[in-house]
Order: sequence, then structure tokens, then C-alpha cells
Amino acid sequence: MDELAADSDAAPGIVRHARESNPGRESAPNMATLRDSTLPLGADECVEADGSARGPYMELLGAVTRMRSELSSIRQEAQDWFVQREITFGTPTDGIAPIFPFDPIPRVIGAAEWRTLHRALSQRVMALDHFVSDCYGAQRALRDRVVPGQLVYTSTGYLRDIVGVRPPRSTWCHVSGIDVVRVQGTFHVLEDNVRIPSGVAYALEARRAMEDVAPEWFATSTVRRIDDYTTRLRRILQRIAPRPWEASIVLLTPGSYNAAYYEHKLLAKAIGATLVEGNDLIVSEDEVYRRDDGGGIHRVDVIYSRVNSDWLDPLVFRSESMLGAPGLIEAWRRGNVAIANAPGTGVADDKAIYPYVPAMIRYYLGEEPLIDNVPTFDLGDRTQRDHVVAHFDKMVLKPVDASGGYDIHFGRLVGSEERATLIDRIDADPRQWLAQEEVELSKAICMNPDGSLEPRAIDLRPFVLLDERPWISPGGLTRVAADPAELVVNSSQGGGSKDTWVLSR
Amino acid sequence: MGSESLTYAVWHHTTLRYTNSVSLSYNEVRMRPRDRGSQRTLTFSLLSNPAAVPRSRVDYFGNYVHRVDVTGPHDLLEFVVDAVVENSEPRRRRLPEWSPEMLAANPQLEYVLPTRRVPLAQSTRSMWTEWNGEDRSFDAVIATAKRIPQELRYVSGATTVESSIDDLLAGGAGVCQDFTHLFLAMVRGAGWPARYVSGYLGPTGEKTFVEGQSHAWAEVCGADGRWVGLDPTHGEFTGAQHLRLAAGRDYSDVAPHRGLFYGRAEGARPDVLVRITRMSHQQVEIVHRGAAVHWQQQQQQQ
Repeated sequence: MDELAADSDAAPGIVRHARESNPGRESAPNMATLRDSTLPLGADECVEADGSARGPYMELLGAVTRMRSELSSIRQEAQDWFVQREITFGTPTDGIAPIFPFDPIPRVIGAAEWRTLHRALSQRVMALDHFVSDCYGAQRALRDRVVPGQLVYTSTGYLRDIVGVRPPRSTWCHVSGIDVVRVQGTFHVLEDNVRIPSGVAYALEARRAMEDVAPEWFATSTVRRIDDYTTRLRRILQRIAPRPWEASIVLLTPGSYNAAYYEHKLLAKAIGATLVEGNDLIVSEDEVYRRDDGGGIHRVDVIYSRVNSDWLDPLVFRSESMLGAPGLIEAWRRGNVAIANAPGTGVADDKAIYPYVPAMIRYYLGEEPLIDNVPTFDLGDRTQRDHVVAHFDKMVLKPVDASGGYDIHFGRLVGSEERATLIDRIDADPRQWLAQEEVELSKAICMNPDGSLEPRAIDLRPFVLLDERPWISPGGLTRVAADPAELVVNSSQGGGSKDTWVLSR
Repeated sequence: MGSESLTYAVWHHTTLRYTNSVSLSYNEVRMRPRDRGSQRTLTFSLLSNPAAVPRSRVDYFGNYVHRVDVTGPHDLLEFVVDAVVENSEPRRRRLPEWSPEMLAANPQLEYVLPTRRVPLAQSTRSMWTEWNGEDRSFDAVIATAKRIPQELRYVSGATTVESSIDDLLAGGAGVCQDFTHLFLAMVRGAGWPARYVSGYLGPTGEKTFVEGQSHAWAEVCGADGRWVGLDPTHGEFTGAQHLRLAAGRDYSDVAPHRGLFYGRAEGARPDVLVRITRMSHQQVEIVHRGAAVHWQQQQQQQ
């Protein structure tokens, strides 16, 4: 579940759930006084129960309150900033992709909170990388019954053609985006994206926009910089190159109709890679070359791929694919080209595997998980399936291999007739479904076009780069639900984003 | 090499014709015999026309794969395999049953799960119950292999390479590929890991030469990890005349040719011709001696 895309899954988009209940908004008189004096209740991410700002938000909210009259113009400037730069997300209609919606009030994470989250995500990504490596190696975790072999062998992300391959530096998940949500003050992982996670460009642009339109806000807080992400990315790509001293890097995109095409262009430029599509690549004698516009041919050492791995090579995987190049996988197998993320990481990205990540952490690292999953149930297991049916109102049901927030069902909103149909669908193919307990996402203060404030559900996708050790860009992409009642936070469902601040102290 | 060992010369010719000239083609070929147990490949060559240098690897299922890339315009592509393969009668052992818990953590689990061509449908499960009742022992597996050719007719051309198990059951007739897929669905449904094997059927008895197509059968794995071949087209254990080429979950994993080309053309189904000759002792002797001569030559040079 990473990239949005005509072919696969959605970019800065995932499925989040939150309860609709929103006491602060119900009573109009209360709202009016709040608007004048203090901050909206219900925005538990920013505001304590008594209405005072949470620690990390103290300075920012002070500044926001002081500049009350200028807020709508700041919002407008930020929107204009995105429009001028044509920062789009989504599939183009009539050749024009939609501008990515942006909320100008940053989300703030305190230094101590971030340290905890940083450790937890490092641990998680290390375990996921071990797992991918194990799936394509000795399959110890399967023999030791840590992860059911049946889930791996039936996963569409398990690519049999690459079993036995050791990628350079034995790293598979070079870039991951781990989606976390805060539930009653504690972060939980909602989803692991280790295929082609997208969204980092939107986080980088959000920061630049905020520095331009509200520089005074940065004066009050010590916000950690995020602009070295692309330097780090370039460095890990260089280090996996077969010829690191003169690595020629390309960014492989599915093309301009891909929802995250804007990000592909931006990242290619920032890391000094050539933006290519599958038909620009040619494989000859197990070496990869790219054709330039002038008909020249250049050797390629590293492919930063934003194409799902089962589309990379029509000779090996899907013969109908026009997105990759035939022979690419054999070139990679022989070590003549590096691909990031390595093909096959989808096996760790399968939602049916997600419930087993805490067990993987214990098994591979011998450590206790530092961050919890949202309670999740395997519908192939009779007992768990019956529990889900018995507690249907508390469940969210989603297909394991879809993304972009499609086909998600909130148990309590499903009518009794539809409920029977849905249960039939699940029973017919339990491997395709996953049930999670519905959790209440934290809400942050967001701004309406008229400058008024209201709470909306948010999540966070931090980006983890893995070489020998994980490196995590401070913050990540904060996504915002499209409106206060929205249960799903997903860019493909009309949600937007915010700048994400991590404080240095 | 026991007294019952048979040695065959295999000639396997494949022609692919394109409706127009193509500029470049990439091909994956699974045509090198995969030896196991009693089978030994003494000589093997793969040539292509237009000529290209094949590069080989071993795939996930343990099969040899040759990559043949043809650069330059061509409207026809031929592969010629010449091999000498020796085989003797495999042991007909009785396999111990699996417990589901044992199988759950075993890599052979791969061979009980449904695939696109071998779905584990209610129809094949009911057939198993109808034929064997609740019996899921290896005897029932053998009984199933014997019964398939009694219940269904072997009619060449009744189905195509893309036909499903449902097509076979609806028409009541098919070929070895269909019989094998049906057998796999039935035994997998009963909890036995089983795989699809492609290969050749050599002449036996009085016959020393056959010309025709390749063959397919199945292998079933016991809880001791041993595989036994069963031929649901002939309703019996496999013998020395069954020469293994490749094995996988279903036909898709062992397809002898898979390819892509660049050009405004369409590819037709390949024409395949297989000739298998049982070699006399004198002929076998020559092959062995040839190897010995080369070996001596090498020793002298060193």
C-alpha cells in the first residue's frame, strides 16, 4: 500500500478512521466564544482537555492566536503557493491534475515524543527488512511458525522469481513510509508501506511553503530541518550502485498519469537522477541502459523505482506490463543494476502480514516492540472471524491489497442487509480481507477558508531510509481528513496535508 | 544404472512464427531435463535459429531456464534440443500422510495451495468424496490417479493449452495437461502436496521410436519429504519411460517457452515436434565412450 497509481495503490493516501463524535462542534454558542477567545475543543492533538495548548504547541498556538486577523490571508497565500508551483496529487482529468489541498497550521511533535517514535520506527523497519530478506532466503520465520507460510505463499507481493537473490548491502526496504496514528495520546502503527511509499515531496514542499508565508512562526519554535532528506536519499542510492564512484541514477516513473507524478519529477531533480519511463530503458546482455532524446545510450547503475515491482519486468512478471523493461530482473539478479526498493518488498507490505510484525520484531531482533499495532484480526481464522462478526459495530473492514481508501467499511455504518452481503464476501475469500478495531484518531486544528478553526482527524507518515541503520526524516507527511466528520484520512479521498514540525528541544 | 535402465535420445524442435518481422525478442526456455532420482541427462544441447548464446539459471522450482535474446530482425525463431537421457524404474513407495500442523510450517505447503489453473473448488472436492469417501490415505491418491482415465476420455484437441479443469469436466474429454490439473486439484484438496511435471514419454516394449508431443504428469510428496510420480493420463505410477523436464505448481510454472518481442507482428502458437528414440546398448556405449575420450584428452592436456 504505498503509491497511488492507476495500477497499484495510492500515494499520500491511506485509510484512517476516526469517530465522528465531536463534542466541541455540536453547540453553536460554545463555538462562538471559542472562536473569539481560545482554541477549538476536540483538537486533542494540540489542545488539552481544559482548552490550554499542549506543550509542543505552546509557542505556535500563541503566534496563531496573536495573528488571528491575518490567518485567512496566510491560508490564501499558502494555497496560492501550491497553485503557482503546480503541486498536484491525483490522476489528471483533462490533462490537469488536482492541486494537493494544504492546511497552513503546522502539526507539532515534541522532541521527547519524536525520540520515542524514532526508536520505535527504526526497530520496526529493521524487522520488516529482516523479514523480506528471510522470505527470499532461508524462510526461518516460516519454519519457526512466527509468520504463517500460507500468508506468504498466497501473498501477491511474494515474488518467486527472486528467491535466492541477495541485493547489494543486503538491504531491501531502502525507503519506507510507516503510517502512524495517535490514539488517546499514544502512537500506533496503522500500516507499513515498504514498496513505493510516496508523499515525501509534499512534506518537503509544505515546509518551503510555510517558511515563505509564515516565517515569523518559525521564530518562536526550534523546528528541525527536513531539507537534507534528498541528500540522504541520493547517498543510499549511490552506496548500492555496482559502480559507486560514477553511479548513474534514474528515477523510474509509471508516467504522467500517475497520481504522484509531481513527486517523481521533484525527487528526480533533487537527487540528480534522470526521470525515465519503462520504454526509455533497454536491457542488453544483462546490462541496463537508458536512451536519451538525442538517441544516445547511457549505462544505468541504480534505479529508484516508483513502479510496483511486479510491473518491472514483463518477461518475468506481468507480460502485459508496459511500465518496466524486459530483462531488468535478470540484470538485477546478476548485480549489474541496483533497484530501490528491491523487488519483492511487497511481501512485508501485505496487510494480512501486518498483524505479525510485532512477532517479527521479537523474533529477528529479540526486542519487545516499542510501538503497537491497531488491534487486527485474521479473518481466515475461524475464532477471530467469529469475534469480528460478533463485534461488527466496533470493526473496520478493508481489503488486504487495495489502497487509496477504497472499499473500506465501518461496521457500525453498515446496514443489516449490506452487513450480510459483506460477511458473505469475506467468507468467500477471507484471505482478501482484514478487520481492525475502529480507533479514534487524534484531531488537529485546521483552518477553514474564512479563517475559522476546527478540529480534523490526522495521521502521520514518517519516511525511513535504510542503509546499515535506519535514518528518519524528522516528522514526515501529516495527512488531514477532508472535513471534520470524515472518517478516512486519505489523499485519494480528498484529504490534504499540513507541515509537520519536530522540535529540537 | 540397473539392468532396467533405459536410455533415450530426445530431439525437441520448436518453431515460433511471427506474422511480420520483429526486431528483438527475449525468450525464456525451460527445455533442459531436470534430473532427479533415477534420471540422468548424459548430453544436452540447445540451439536457436537465429543463433544466440543462451544463458542459464535455475528457477524457484528447481528447473533449468535458458534465456535466449535474439537481436536483429527475424520472422521465425526455432529452438532445437538434443539430449540423451537415461532413466530406470523409480521405486514405487507408499507415502506417509501429512498432518495439517506439520504441513503449515513446511515449504511443501506451496504445493497444496490453490493456483490459477488449479483452484481448489467444491466440484473437485466432491469428486474426491464420491470416489474415496473420507479416505485421504495414499491408497486413495493412487485410486484417484487410476480412476481419472476411466472416467474421462483422452481426446487430442478436445481442449487447448488455456483450458480449465471446469472445461475438462464439462466436456468429459481432454489431454494429459487437463488430467494432471484435475488430479492435482483433487489430491491437494485432500491435503497432499503435489506438483505438475512436464516431460517426455519414451517408447517402451517393442517400440523404439515415438514422434509427437511432450507429456505431463504429477508428483505427490509424502510427510517424509519424498516425491512419487503418478501419471493420471495412464492411471499408473511413472516408470523409466517418463523423462522429467520441469516441475512446478501448474502448467504456467513449467511452460517450455515464454517470450516477448518488439515489432508490429503477432506471434502464433509454437509448432512443437518431439522425437524420442530408445537407444541400443551399442549406441549408449558410444555416448559413454565419447565422454571418456574427452575426459582422457583433458587429462593428457593437463
